[in-house]
Amino acid sequence: MVQSESIVSAYSPPFKIVTKYFAVAIISFVILNFLLLINYNSIGGHHFQPKILSINHIATLGWITMIIFGAMFQLVPVVLETKLFSEILADIQFWIYLLGVIGLVYCFWVFNTGILMTTSAILLNVAMLIFAFNIIVTMKRVKKWNVTAWYLSVAIFYLIVTAIVGLLLTINLWTPYIKSDHLQYLNLHAHIAFIGWVSMVIMGVSFKLIPMFTLSHGFPLTNAKQAFWLINIGLLGISNTIFFEVKTFLYFIFTGLIVLGIMFFLRQIQIIFKNRIRKKFDIGIKFSFVAYIMLGLTTILGTFIAFVDYDNIINMALIYGYMIIFSYISMLIVGQMYKIVPFLVWYHKYSSKVGLEPVPMLKDMFNEKFAHVEFYIMIVAVFGSLCSLLFRSEIGLLMSFTLMFISSIIFVFNMITIFRK
Amino acid sequence: MANKKEILEVLKGVIDPEIGINIVDLGLVYEVESNDSQNIIKMTLTTPGCPMHSSISSWVENVVAQLDPEKKAIVTLVWEPQWTPDKMTSEAREQLGM
Repeated sequence: MVQSESIVSAYSPPFKIVTKYFAVAIISFVILNFLLLINYNSIGGHHFQPKILSINHIATLGWITMIIFGAMFQLVPVVLETKLFSEILADIQFWIYLLGVIGLVYCFWVFNTGILMTTSAILLNVAMLIFAFNIIVTMKRVKKWNVTAWYLSVAIFYLIVTAIVGLLLTINLWTPYIKSDHLQYLNLHAHIAFIGWVSMVIMGVSFKLIPMFTLSHGFPLTNAKQAFWLINIGLLGISNTIFFEVKTFLYFIFTGLIVLGIMFFLRQIQIIFKNRIRKKFDIGIKFSFVAYIMLGLTTILGTFIAFVDYDNIINMALIYGYMIIFSYISMLIVGQMYKIVPFLVWYHKYSSKVGLEPVPMLKDMFNEKFAHVEFYIMIVAVFGSLCSLLFRSEIGLLMSFTLMFISSIIFVFNMITIFRK
Repeated sequence: MANKKEILEVLKGVIDPEIGINIVDLGLVYEVESNDSQNIIKMTLTTPGCPMHSSISSWVENVVAQLDPEKKAIVTLVWEPQWTPDKMTSEAREQLGM
């Protein structure tokens, strides 16, 4: 028998730091839904407008990336089996990042494209570099590289590229210097952010967490490896062809590789689910499962947009963006939060009491019935929003955004319940 | 002084908080050894890097120490042989809906 090095866990999550990131992210999610709701009549049309840019950055920076940072600090020990390099750096990063997010979101809202916007973008770059440093040093300690480590390492590369391109775009809005179309850079910024940064993290972490939560064993990770190469070659390729004025043959090839890569990822997830021994889906897995299906549907739409001249159907880009942010990423985040937050709090409050007094099970940490209500409301809200965007129905958007806002309130209620448990 | 059967019985009170099934029925306990001064529990977890690592270990140590306070309870976590679902008892399988 091979004995582990130490019984004393190196895997304890840094509770205070993770909580800070999660708290701000959850608040951002509510603000995001609230702003969508009160601006329902100005959503639609072209995506390059101040309020949409502002709301979009609350979503990507305040909600999605904030959650990923917090989750990475909690999950790095789990997925990489080593301790985080520095909790102090994670804390310093938090404050710089928060300032950057608030500054950038404010500047987009009032469309102040001057020094304040660029300063905010610089703060975000600094925070992300601190994060990258912290994780890279942590990764250097990893003895046995697994497929998750590959995905996470490229994700960090794309995060930095996203941040730098974002900074260049803010400078361009201040003092125009980019000769080609600003929107093409924006396209690059968005695709590297969503496919490179967010999706690489989601995919890499999924290979570890979904088997852990569903007790899935004995499956090969072949498709995960194939997806890694296909998506990365496609993404790097597309980053170089995106600036050509006419869509070239190579552009279509690289787009095809990304699409194929995502399909291989979904196939891997399907294999993991097929091999699971926990047959019943709990609420966290239900959310995640729907999110994976929505990733498939979003990819189909993305392919359509890539191969068709979508300039003539301008709100297609908005529908595509909405699907990415809400039906795929937010759905997955909410699902995973129902798995990792109960653990975070349970570990902090009860791990010293185990065996000495009764402790709750993780599923008892929140109201699962409410979470189910949230699940169904969110699904209706997502499809309602998509249909309303497609048919440009303002009343439809008002109703759907109201439902989405309600679902975010239920989510907050459950998260607070967990922290108070 | 507790015997192996008694130790296994108290270990049935140690429940994986995520799965909701006790560690004995999950097949996580590989061996229980006792000598004059120690009760040694060789066990594993369902996933390497499992975040429940230290909690479950101290849970096991606490319940075994309560049963047999004269001896030191020691948990030895092992990853080989790797845990597989066929190590579970039929009760555990039933609870998982297999």
